[in-house]
Amino acid sequence: MSLRVRSSANNLWKSLSWAWLDTVCQYRRSRIGPLWETINVLVMLIGLTVVSSSVFGSSIFAIIGHAGIGIIVWSAIASLVFESPGTFVRNCGYVTNSMLSIDLYVGRAVFKTLITFSHHFVIFFVGVLFGLVPIGWVSLLAIPGIVLLFVNGFWVAMALGLICARFRDVEPFVRNIMQLAFFVTPVFWNYRQISVDRRYLVDGNPLFYFIEIIRKPLLGEVPPPSFYGAVLGVTVCGYALAYYVHRRMRRQLAFYL
Amino acid sequence: MTHVHLDNVNVSIPIYDSHSLRLIRLPSLGKAGVGTDSATRDHGVIFIHALKNICLDLEEGDRVCLIGHNGAGKTTLLRIVAGIYPITTGAIKVAGKRFALLGGSIALNSDATGYENIRLIANLYDWPRDRYNDIVREIEQFTELGEYLSLPTRIYSAGMQARLAFALATEQNPDILLIDEGIGAGDAQFQKKSSERVQQFVTRARILLLASHSRDLCRSMCSKALVLSKGEGVFFGDVDQAFDVYASMS
Repeated sequence: MSLRVRSSANNLWKSLSWAWLDTVCQYRRSRIGPLWETINVLVMLIGLTVVSSSVFGSSIFAIIGHAGIGIIVWSAIASLVFESPGTFVRNCGYVTNSMLSIDLYVGRAVFKTLITFSHHFVIFFVGVLFGLVPIGWVSLLAIPGIVLLFVNGFWVAMALGLICARFRDVEPFVRNIMQLAFFVTPVFWNYRQISVDRRYLVDGNPLFYFIEIIRKPLLGEVPPPSFYGAVLGVTVCGYALAYYVHRRMRRQLAFYL
Repeated sequence: MTHVHLDNVNVSIPIYDSHSLRLIRLPSLGKAGVGTDSATRDHGVIFIHALKNICLDLEEGDRVCLIGHNGAGKTTLLRIVAGIYPITTGAIKVAGKRFALLGGSIALNSDATGYENIRLIANLYDWPRDRYNDIVREIEQFTELGEYLSLPTRIYSAGMQARLAFALATEQNPDILLIDEGIGAGDAQFQKKSSERVQQFVTRARILLLASHSRDLCRSMCSKALVLSKGEGVFFGDVDQAFDVYASMS
């Protein structure tokens, strides 16, 4: 058992340094490098805040914190989901020709997103600097939220990676759903802005809770325990799903590619 | 004890093809020669019978080459011993640390420098940390790439890339070594140097399985040979005799 724990920890470390190398290589020939990541999200954030403030008739400064953090967290969620179908397809050469543990490809995908997310997160501190978002002890509560989000990334990458390697129609379907989810989830608009009889659309949306357990602390509020309950529920179900999919499909993986 | 035991192993490789739902029919595998010895259809999935009733027992010290035409099942056999493909029926027992060198060589990350590639491979394959610096120095000397190792491998010539990949591959220390289609790199002068390294590499392994068409290579490295034809083992024994059998088949 302790051997397995050690080898899993070792795999995490290996895939983190692999993802780090990927990121370094990706931006090597760019002048401002990973700052592009930050700028991309910043542009998106300002654009959507302006649109959102004019559509919903509130001042930009009133919603920029809410919408901004929403978009930063959303980009992490979206990139976890978008990267997942290719977890194994991208590493086809390794999967069919080497005997590396497939956990490494899962880790490579998730940590790549985590590294990108940390570049986006710089924007939060810029916001603090300009007094647009508060900072205090409550802000630290965002850390468990972030950890929970990325812990979920592993099962998503494993399950979607295997399923999408076998069934190539799933990936476009997932992309479709995520595009819709961006508008259905209160990312750049507020939960209170949706009419009461339609709130079930948000209440039943697990992505909402993932955003809120990071966003609320960063806006100085403590998330209600039920939000953590929802996220933990998704985590448990997700790992159960990934375990089942892994058992059914792992051995055949090389045939799918 | 390092060993490889295959008992009546069959491998069917499924070919997935979802033609049924497309509005515009793309050329599909629907009319492939199905129902023959080598392929059957089951629930819309075509299965290629890549290996049939293979029995093979390898103990420490065995050096076996796999001979056969293209598509005879050599790579598939290497893949099942490596654990990359599952077997369909039969039994397989493998004990020992395996390393498979399939698909030519170790893949380099072309945007990463030579040194970064070395570090990545060292990390992925658990090279001993305390010997890392020695190993790097050894690779520096062997590849003669000098300051190129600090540059992205994308700018290397094909021969230089091959040298580095070769050096990385032959640095491994497995109990069971699986090689597909020979191994080697570079120009004539480098070839002499590399053949020594290959010898050392192969000698370190306790069991060698090598798929090759080259009689000279098989002779120099292997003591036994398995001849495959259409997924079946047709001869197992002396290397020279095996090549005679192979030649009589074509």
